[in-house]
Amino acid sequence: MGLNESDLIKEPACQTNSFSNYLWSDPPDENKWADCVHCGMCLESCPTYEITGQEQHSPRGRVHLIKSVAEGKLEVNEHFMDPVFACLDCRACTTACPADVDVGGLIEEARGQIRQAMPLKGWKKAVSHLFLHSLFPHHNRLYTLGNVLKLYQKSGMQTFVRKTGLINIIPQHLAEMEAIMPEVKKPVRKKYKHEKVIKAKGETKSTVAFLTGCVMDVMFSEINEATINVLTRNGNDVMIPQNQTCCGALHVHAGDREMGRKLAKQNIEAFQHAEKVIVNSAGCGCMLKEYPELFREDPVWRQKAETFSKKVEDISKYLYDTGYKRPIAEIKARVVYHDACHLAHGQGIRDEPRSLLLDIPGVEMVEMANADRCCGSAGIYNITNPEMAKEVLDSKMKNVPKEAEMIVMGNPGCMLQMAMGVQKNGRNQKIVHTVQLLDWAYQKEDRLKEGEECL
Amino acid sequence: MSLKGIRTNDKHIKNLANIVEGNRSILYKKEDLLAYDCDGFTIYRHLPRAVVFPNNTEEVAKIVKYCHEHDLPFLARGAGTGLSGGAIPLNGEVIISLVKMKRLISVDFENRRAVVEPGFVNLKLTNSISDKGYYYAPDPSSQYCCTIGGNVGENAGGAHCLKYGVTTNHILGLEVVLPNGEVIEIGKDGIPDAPGYDLLGLLTGSEGTLGIVTKITVRILKNPEAKQTVLAYFDNVADGSQAVSDIISAGIVPAALEMMDQIAIEAVEAAAFPVGHPKDIEALLLIEVDGISAGIDEQIHQILEVCKRNHVREVKVAQSEEERARWWANRKTGFGAMGAISPDYLVQDGVIPRSKLPEVLNRIHEISREYGLRIANIFHAGDGNLHPLVLFDARKPGETEKALKAGSACLQACADAGGSITGEHGVGIEKREEMRFIFSDEEIAAQTDIREVFNPKNLLNAGKLFPTPGRCLEVKKEGKSVTAS
Repeated sequence: MGLNESDLIKEPACQTNSFSNYLWSDPPDENKWADCVHCGMCLESCPTYEITGQEQHSPRGRVHLIKSVAEGKLEVNEHFMDPVFACLDCRACTTACPADVDVGGLIEEARGQIRQAMPLKGWKKAVSHLFLHSLFPHHNRLYTLGNVLKLYQKSGMQTFVRKTGLINIIPQHLAEMEAIMPEVKKPVRKKYKHEKVIKAKGETKSTVAFLTGCVMDVMFSEINEATINVLTRNGNDVMIPQNQTCCGALHVHAGDREMGRKLAKQNIEAFQHAEKVIVNSAGCGCMLKEYPELFREDPVWRQKAETFSKKVEDISKYLYDTGYKRPIAEIKARVVYHDACHLAHGQGIRDEPRSLLLDIPGVEMVEMANADRCCGSAGIYNITNPEMAKEVLDSKMKNVPKEAEMIVMGNPGCMLQMAMGVQKNGRNQKIVHTVQLLDWAYQKEDRLKEGEECL
Repeated sequence: MSLKGIRTNDKHIKNLANIVEGNRSILYKKEDLLAYDCDGFTIYRHLPRAVVFPNNTEEVAKIVKYCHEHDLPFLARGAGTGLSGGAIPLNGEVIISLVKMKRLISVDFENRRAVVEPGFVNLKLTNSISDKGYYYAPDPSSQYCCTIGGNVGENAGGAHCLKYGVTTNHILGLEVVLPNGEVIEIGKDGIPDAPGYDLLGLLTGSEGTLGIVTKITVRILKNPEAKQTVLAYFDNVADGSQAVSDIISAGIVPAALEMMDQIAIEAVEAAAFPVGHPKDIEALLLIEVDGISAGIDEQIHQILEVCKRNHVREVKVAQSEEERARWWANRKTGFGAMGAISPDYLVQDGVIPRSKLPEVLNRIHEISREYGLRIANIFHAGDGNLHPLVLFDARKPGETEKALKAGSACLQACADAGGSITGEHGVGIEKREEMRFIFSDEEIAAQTDIREVFNPKNLLNAGKLFPTPGRCLEVKKEGKSVTAS
């Protein structure tokens, strides 16, 4: 039997149901999804849609589901959690969207509801608590962990573990992470603990405060060092407020908005006397700029957050806007620039770092297709969703031109992830932060000058 | 795929899952299906029974055969950007999503053709061949994400179709899975104008009611040697419309001749790709000419003269590729930009003789007043293809119905002016009833007879494209809420 015209189901126009299934405060904002007209322009920008081809893993699909919960058509359960937590929060859809729909904001708000409706249990809870509550907000503990890592590297244990295959006993994706861990040096927050101000070299033009970051300061302290060098060299006094803390991005990504707010408050207070807050980690910078979003229901703190956010700037944009000395020494390198999601899509910063790099004599930039495509790092996404993260990374690595000697970017998470990509694909490309390259050029310049003086 | 992890009592879902290889090959949970309850037309919704993701023609044929044998309604879906609801599973269909079939199979520069799978994204074709100086002409505004398979289904148009024609003018061959699972090839060698009935023409634009396209041979074109783009601001719509007529009368065939009215300008300027258009003008024209370099400047000169004669406030020629790209991004994201000024919109797609532009635009103004809803206009003025965008808020009771009626009234105005109810978006669900504005019952029956030949059981995408006899029933039901069930 087939279908006759008269058998067809004829549904009248849709009307919304007013029974929201979001039960906690701070739910996904209706005005955000009201901007979405379901046009689909976001589809091709989304890495998880590219991989799965499935609408529930696309931006408009996620928005549709988030809206459906508010309309009472869906419940907050693990099937809803799946698409919402599979989002990389890369914000590429925000760039693609003709109507500026804040998909990232909606996702984070939805995650907040999910975490309250379905608190983590068992080992997941333990791991999450360890990282998000016991580790990241505590610089000292992170530093201690850093020391353990340092010991592990220095003692030859690392070589031993890698050679003997002991590494096989840890899950493969963690083993891969271990293999690309950078050498740990002294965090700048420790190093400059007793210096109120790190003075500009030469005349002081302005004073800036520096958010050192957690991962950045423990695993990439040389980048923080480079950032301070570049800032002081260009006439900035640098202050490192000691009561600053983790930016909270990882917490907010994970749906722990309460902790996010707590950390945000601490940072807002720590930097209240600063005129400029400089960040060299795209993820942190984006989070700091979005603090007001966390206080939608708290006008007093919202006001403070708005004042604070306006002071935040990424190092590349700050240098570009305020001017910097063009290095004289040559760094002969063929580089490719990877747009960190939270710099390009999150903060709209694309040309400034490229311009900075091209100002270094000898640097040649190679084009990369989809340079602003997520690498799969996405905070701790590569730990929580290893399979999807791997596919996203593979897709990214296919676009990295083989002839590039260095891959330059402005975010520590991307650096770890891309380093893994380079290693897994048997490439020998160096992973570098934008300010590092600039700092090297300055240092080379100094050495050349010293050499001349010696002659 | 292996059935491990599939938890359902529906034996059809298990059987369908068995047909398709690989991971992520079927969806059947409500939460996942909800993302498939509509396409770019969001007013009507219904949950599909399942969504299957075949990898190749054989799998599509097997799925279709299974549905045919078990009387399961089914339909094909690409990127789901259609604006008339052609991919909405009104009857709880099994959706056959073709997004995994997204390969560019071959490009034959010598004979200027390319073979693609249906899930291949329109713009990716141009991007893949542009380094050799070629492109694919049909450019719907959704070309960043819509699939060529979907373009075939809807016979999609685009801004540059004024000069280059719509999708059907660029299709050389199709591989089609018929509604019984049989696979046929039409225009196999990609030779244009094959003798016999024009089946390519019939299939293209059949809105997925005659078969599922699994392989497409398209024409590719050499990039024009030169290209110039003009932007003109008019204080009143009548002057802009007259300029459109005068440009064509002057013997110029622009590659594109687009118009936006004041509300449309408000939206694009409030959205993600603003250009800085003045807000107080009534109309803007975006005009592009292309071809061999010789003569382009002369054409531009003529266009500028025509604009000045029609009291243009300001007119300028794009000074760089970057500027041109900005103007186009602003225009092409126009529909989505409506989100910036309205929670919902309904876009219509009427066609009228160019000479009737001012008259019909006036009528649309009246309709807007009558229904108390704002209507923006973004359209292909050169070929008289109007896109009135009715702005509404579905959360307000009764407003959706009002928007539907206002949209229908716009189409009536187009039909009254001697035009048609759709230029490029298709009829889908949205304009089924409006088919009666231009066809008699006999003419409609003649067309459903053709459908019978291909799709006798009417399992494939039933309830689309033609009006249904049970109109009264539908009207009675109006107002009742549709929730996903």
